[in-house]
Amino acid sequence: MQLDFVTREVTIKLVYYGPALSGKTTNLQMLHKAAAADSAGRLMTLETRDDRTLFFDLLPLTFRQDKGLAVRLKIFTVPGQVIHASTRRLVVQGADGVAFIADSQLAETEHNAESFLDLKQNLKDSGIALKNLPIIIQFNKRDLLDIRSDAEIAELAAQGQEPVYLATATRLDGVVESFIGLLHLVLKSLDNEHKLEEKFNFNRSAFLLQVAHKLGKNVPLAELLKARVGSNSGKVGA
Amino acid sequence: MEAPPSVPLRSLDELTLRDGYSLEDLVDRTVLGEMIRSFYDLFRLPLRIYSASGQLLADATEQHPFYAYLNEFKATREAVQGTVDGIKQINPAETGELTFPCVSGAVYRIVSITYDTRAMGRMVIGPFVPAGVLEVSPELRERAAGLDPVKLQALFSQMPRVREETVSQIARHLCKSLDLILFSGHRALLSSNMHLASVRESYKELESKNAKLQEAYDRLKELDRLKSNFLATVSHELRTPLTSIIGYSEMLSEGIAGDLTEEQREFVRTIYEKGEQLLQLIKGLLDLSKLESGTMSLKKAYSPVGPLVRDIAQTVAPTARKKNVGIHVHVEAGIPEMWADTARLRQVFLNVVDNAIKFTPEGGTVTLSARITTLDASPEDVGGLVLMARRQAIEFRIADSGIGIPDPEKGRVFDAFYQVDSSSTREQGGTGLGLSIVRRLVESHNGRVSIEDNQPNGAVFVVVIPCRRATMA
Repeated sequence: MQLDFVTREVTIKLVYYGPALSGKTTNLQMLHKAAAADSAGRLMTLETRDDRTLFFDLLPLTFRQDKGLAVRLKIFTVPGQVIHASTRRLVVQGADGVAFIADSQLAETEHNAESFLDLKQNLKDSGIALKNLPIIIQFNKRDLLDIRSDAEIAELAAQGQEPVYLATATRLDGVVESFIGLLHLVLKSLDNEHKLEEKFNFNRSAFLLQVAHKLGKNVPLAELLKARVGSNSGKVGA
Repeated sequence: MEAPPSVPLRSLDELTLRDGYSLEDLVDRTVLGEMIRSFYDLFRLPLRIYSASGQLLADATEQHPFYAYLNEFKATREAVQGTVDGIKQINPAETGELTFPCVSGAVYRIVSITYDTRAMGRMVIGPFVPAGVLEVSPELRERAAGLDPVKLQALFSQMPRVREETVSQIARHLCKSLDLILFSGHRALLSSNMHLASVRESYKELESKNAKLQEAYDRLKELDRLKSNFLATVSHELRTPLTSIIGYSEMLSEGIAGDLTEEQREFVRTIYEKGEQLLQLIKGLLDLSKLESGTMSLKKAYSPVGPLVRDIAQTVAPTARKKNVGIHVHVEAGIPEMWADTARLRQVFLNVVDNAIKFTPEGGTVTLSARITTLDASPEDVGGLVLMARRQAIEFRIADSGIGIPDPEKGRVFDAFYQVDSSSTREQGGTGLGLSIVRRLVESHNGRVSIEDNQPNGAVFVVVIPCRRATMA
């Protein structure tokens, strides 16, 4: 994170991680599509071959509260293929939050696990403690057959620590919800650490609502955050 | 492997989060100049592009005769200079664009160049005269006391005239085009930095892997040395008590300690023979370990071939006679000396000839022959093939009329403990060490050993030893 007191700007780095072909780039493309023109910059795709990411994608989003703090988000994807290990390590450095995009297909279970272990290792190598890093997990490709069932994911999510979201990124389903979920966690963590509310009069809930609005979701924030799997327990944002 | 040359590498954070790049980083000046020039050709509006630090990056301007005239006189020249200085100071970052008046009545349009919400520089369009302004400003006329008012007005009328909205539109279009260029530039900058960074990461990984491999290699080498030491020590320690066993059993069998019954003598004889066998095995192991560790020292000298061959034949004659196998010797006349350790070569030939007799049935023959030949470098040898070819050598052939060796086994019989048919060990005896020692000894003479088929049956062991020393060593 970069904090500029003079221009009252905070720059946040979010990384979309996950196994090859799980839909990281699709998530970014859909966010880019959903974002209002005054918020979204150009989606930059670095070095692709056959629609596969070689280096990373980068989507800049900027949101400015009236007279308040401007939040610049730089959202990265990593290349999923195993061979690009060094690029993943470079991209994940300095991440403020990670959205782990898992492939819901049962056949991809091992790849999801491998990729998560890879994330853990890369975070460790970058000096980031996994338990201190805001992470959400998105189970993408809910429209396919032979996927892990909703019930099973709910059961697993209840045991895990990270908020879990279901998505069909190609149809935008769950994309904004996952993103808001991640941003919510990241801002909470940054607020705790840097006292954004105190120093900049930064209203997190209002800001999140504004972001959701710019991304085409005109619903109360609580409802958005409820999109998280197993959130009926009322522990929203806990 | 040398470290890659140090190239200024900017971190990904710097290039994405901290805006650690400038207009100059993202756009090629020549390209920018060409773009500006084509804009000028189209609209005839002077244009300059400044970086955020105020450096002029590209311009397409030609001094209009009106300004050339103004510059001829001190007062007007100073007034115009004041405008130019003013333009350098002003920054439209807050509003995005603004119009800056010139003392003459013409104006400049200053537009901020932004990329990813950041001001990267400014473009200055003008001077041009806003549509509707027909006359030079009263202020200028006042200052231009020394100028010809008619000429001044005439030149002023020739200045480019544009509506300010049009200039704004043009500027917006220009900014959009520039934004595309900056985007491409930013992407290229990121790409090249990522390439570099990836290469560095891979290099670091390889380096650490190399270090680990080297470590493992050193450890293995040390283990190998320890193994050889161990073998040498053990062999020595085994031989000491064995010498006593052999010596005392021999004395017993000779009746030195009193007469033995036939049965007792047979038992003691067996102890003696098996002791000898064990001693040979230990010697073989010791030789092999010495050869493997390269600690066997050979005492090479120029040695005659004939006496060696005849000595071998004499040594094995009793064994051959016992088995009713004929030994034939043939040494080519005029054969030169060879560069060899005769004692070790003797060991080689005894081994091979012993084998030949062992596998030749009763009534068969074993032929020892030696002749002059040339030795070529084998294709597997690395380099110097031309130089290593056609060296004079002695070829020894040990031919038997035994069971022969099948093709696939011909290379493998030289491996330690390998036997073509393990059942033959029980029948024929032997440890399986002999031929592996043979090969190593021959190789340490820079020679070669191979197996050919004998006609109509049997095998021929071919040993080639060079006549001259191969190196100065």
